[in-house]
Amino acid sequence: MVRCHRLFSTSSPLLKKKQELLIPGYKLKCGLEIHSQLDTKFKLFSLSKTSFQSTPNSKISYFDASLPGTQPLLNPEALLFALKAAKALNSTINTFSTFDRKHYFYGDQPLGYQITQHYQPYAQGGFLKLLPHDNESITGEKIINIEQIQIEQDTGKSIYTELENEAFSKIDLNRTNIPLIEMVTKPDFETPEEIRCFIKKYQNLVRHLGICTGDLETGAMRVDVNISVNNGHRVELKNLSTTSSVINAIKYEYKRQIKLIESGETSKVIQETRGWDGSKTVRLRTKEGALDYRYMPDPELPPIILENGINESLKLPKLPDELMIELKNAPYNLSNKDASILVNDLKLLNYYFQLFEETVIKNKVESKLPGNWVIHELLGGFTKLQIEFNPNLINVLKLSELLISINNEQITKSSAKLLLQHLMNNPGDLKRPILELIDDYDLGKESNVDQDLIGEIINQVLEEQSEIVELIKSGKRLNSVKFLVGQCMRLSQGKIKPNIFEDELKLKLGI
Amino acid sequence: MSTIASRIPEILKHAIAQNEKYNIYTSIRSQDQITIPKISNSSQLLSNKIAAIKDNIATIEEPTTCSSKMLAKYTSPYEATVMTLLNKAGAITIGKTNLDEFGMGGGTTNSYFGSTINPTIKNAVEPYTAGGSSGGSAAAIAADTADFALGTDTGGSVRVPGAYTGVFGFKPSYGRISRWGVVAYAQSLDTVGILAKDVDLVRNVYDVLNQYDSKDPTSLSQEIRNKIEDSTHLRDRSIDKLRIGLINQLGANDLSPDVKEIWQKMLSTVQDHHHLIPVSIPILKYALPAYYTLAPAEAASNLSRFDGIRYGYRSDDDKNNYAKTRTEGFGKEVKTRITLGNFNLNADSFKNSFLKAQNVRLAMKSQFNSIFALPNSLTNSSAPKNGVDILIAPVSMSTPPTLKKYMSESSIEAYANDMFVTPASLCGLPAISVPWESTSGNPVGIQIIGQYGDDKKVLEVAKHLKELNKI
Repeated sequence: MVRCHRLFSTSSPLLKKKQELLIPGYKLKCGLEIHSQLDTKFKLFSLSKTSFQSTPNSKISYFDASLPGTQPLLNPEALLFALKAAKALNSTINTFSTFDRKHYFYGDQPLGYQITQHYQPYAQGGFLKLLPHDNESITGEKIINIEQIQIEQDTGKSIYTELENEAFSKIDLNRTNIPLIEMVTKPDFETPEEIRCFIKKYQNLVRHLGICTGDLETGAMRVDVNISVNNGHRVELKNLSTTSSVINAIKYEYKRQIKLIESGETSKVIQETRGWDGSKTVRLRTKEGALDYRYMPDPELPPIILENGINESLKLPKLPDELMIELKNAPYNLSNKDASILVNDLKLLNYYFQLFEETVIKNKVESKLPGNWVIHELLGGFTKLQIEFNPNLINVLKLSELLISINNEQITKSSAKLLLQHLMNNPGDLKRPILELIDDYDLGKESNVDQDLIGEIINQVLEEQSEIVELIKSGKRLNSVKFLVGQCMRLSQGKIKPNIFEDELKLKLGI
Repeated sequence: MSTIASRIPEILKHAIAQNEKYNIYTSIRSQDQITIPKISNSSQLLSNKIAAIKDNIATIEEPTTCSSKMLAKYTSPYEATVMTLLNKAGAITIGKTNLDEFGMGGGTTNSYFGSTINPTIKNAVEPYTAGGSSGGSAAAIAADTADFALGTDTGGSVRVPGAYTGVFGFKPSYGRISRWGVVAYAQSLDTVGILAKDVDLVRNVYDVLNQYDSKDPTSLSQEIRNKIEDSTHLRDRSIDKLRIGLINQLGANDLSPDVKEIWQKMLSTVQDHHHLIPVSIPILKYALPAYYTLAPAEAASNLSRFDGIRYGYRSDDDKNNYAKTRTEGFGKEVKTRITLGNFNLNADSFKNSFLKAQNVRLAMKSQFNSIFALPNSLTNSSAPKNGVDILIAPVSMSTPPTLKKYMSESSIEAYANDMFVTPASLCGLPAISVPWESTSGNPVGIQIIGQYGDDKKVLEVAKHLKELNKI
């Protein structure tokens, strides 16, 4: 459901917000650090299964619990996933990279260090382009450069609680040692909208690559922000669990720093890490309080050595930018908005492609039909039912049957809409052929149009809507003739084509 | 003929008695804990051989304490690969042996369970050290409580106790024997080692344990094992006339008079049969600083996991952080090395100490490669035309000191004694301490060092040298 909402949010109001926020004379500069959990079967350095919402401490190996005498072994699937991300982000893949230990004590960090790639990461450089088809606020193209990407372990989870008035923490090691990639951008962002757009694009990219669920809400993806105003000291923002908290925290922090600058207290903008409490940013630690992580090359993990041609041999699926162009051109010819809805939901996109194949390619159905029906009728139906899109509820073949019937003029569009709604509410009928249902429910289009019936309906409508008829006749509301057509359709239960009513009405009204 | 099963009570009784005298074991198995391999397996390489295991190797029958308060009550839920291999080969383990806490020390004096005493110094007025950190394993052999013992050697921890107790102490090439289940001190240097009085038994134990293990990321791959095998087969020089290198930088100057006497006698015996060739490895003067930079850094990192949360000792007062647990759970030397290691890793000194030490280590490997006749199969270096077959060197400066003298030494003095043993550790080379008797009757060790992977040659020469000693 949450996802559906995001899909339908329109981008036009954003343009206004952008102009409202930025204050002339105060230049905003941001960079992002995004941690993404790789959706591998096993953990990064052990054979325990990765899991989400399992019983606490049920998915841990001896190594995950850091028992004495245990050793890490790199999971090659994690490396493959990480390499796909690097290629998709146009990064240079280092054929020689190593693992390092980053030391700090924490209850949910069982080794006392995190295995990461500090000195020689597996990928460096690269970029992601923000394009007008991503967001209307992007004019031309905006290139966000990437500093580096590294592979590292996730930590466990601490749950702070209280027992007999004493605070203590519970530790769950299921998340320990799940593979992450940390992607660090250069400070190339100049507006919060660019950040919103980037996050959405990055989420969608990892989903298309099949390497991460991309969800911020579950913690599968985590975003930290570096922000500075007029090239002042850099503040790091952490604990941002949704895209809107990222944006709100940036807006708040931008204003907070401007206030300090305006009141002559520029020195109070210091290099520090701040968190977001839902309404304001709060200090977590200053530079002086920063830890020395005592980075050390891991003494037992061998370096990752890759072949020179690794970049060419990595196979990626079609990526969102390419798909957008494809969908907006023949034979699909979708609008930017519709294409974007599909590209942002892989399940829906695959459904659309299959439906297009079954209807337009195999049965010569009019090419606009699949897009309209998937995005408006089908997805709208799911929204009404308040459930997430599920390609199995109305499968591709069933919807293609319906679209073929429309194309063959065996049912009108409005009747077909009613039938689709009926099927979504009564999945028991899905087993029956569409043509049988059309017959049973008497939804068939009248093939021999009964002229008497048309006249009868039109007369009734003209009588009922006399006020509107007057307005049309006086030339004030010519467009309201569509309303009258709609009324006629309603009375005919959609069995008669709307253009027949429209021609007849125009004749009668003399327009 | 008495079966091994019927001899077990007597073996245990002897071990318990010797343990009372010399504090060899951290735990001795009861009769019930000992599984006798089936008779059908008696043809195996180690059938009926009694084993003592250093207590930093994970076993499931008893705690694996590392001689630390931190792990005094910790029993591992899994066993080390070496234990599985020993069991399969028919060996009978009777207990776990004392060590310097987590392997840090040279005298088996830094133990939560007290110092191990050297059983070989007869009629001693006061106790002598057995060396360390595998002092318990060496003493177990010297006191005839076991046929062989496993130790670990990070910077001489098998060779020095071997030398001090008059038994063979073999440190194989790095990566030959699996470290899965071996509690890490400094894992770029850690190797499982073998101690025994009989060098043929050392060889048999080595043959059992010399296996690739997929669980250990530093285990030597089968491919390189085969490559080494091929390159050693090409060599045709017989054992009767070896080219033995004598390292200028590890000379007699630093030796105590009694060791020096033996050393020179031994050299003249060897010279009667082989070519003694002086060789130079200038960078060896940095071996000790490099070792004492890298090993404590790795140790500081490895020991970070002991926070009292998931297992091991936890201080009652430790409510807010782990400091109290760690302060109380670790001994003095371990804390010293953690502090030193963290100092070497901090952002300001990393480049000037840690990275320099790593560079020294790399340069040292290449200087060793330039003197051996056998190429190094790891680096594909080319070997010199007139290279040496093996190197010969002392193991320690003196015969074993008394516990009192040893414990009164400063850390620096204690560290300096490692100058003969750290080079082979830093370069991963196979090395063995061959027992030699001094005129005073106190044991002295002679060290044989081979090219990387040339373990069999080292064992072969050790056996040969022992025979020369009898002449």
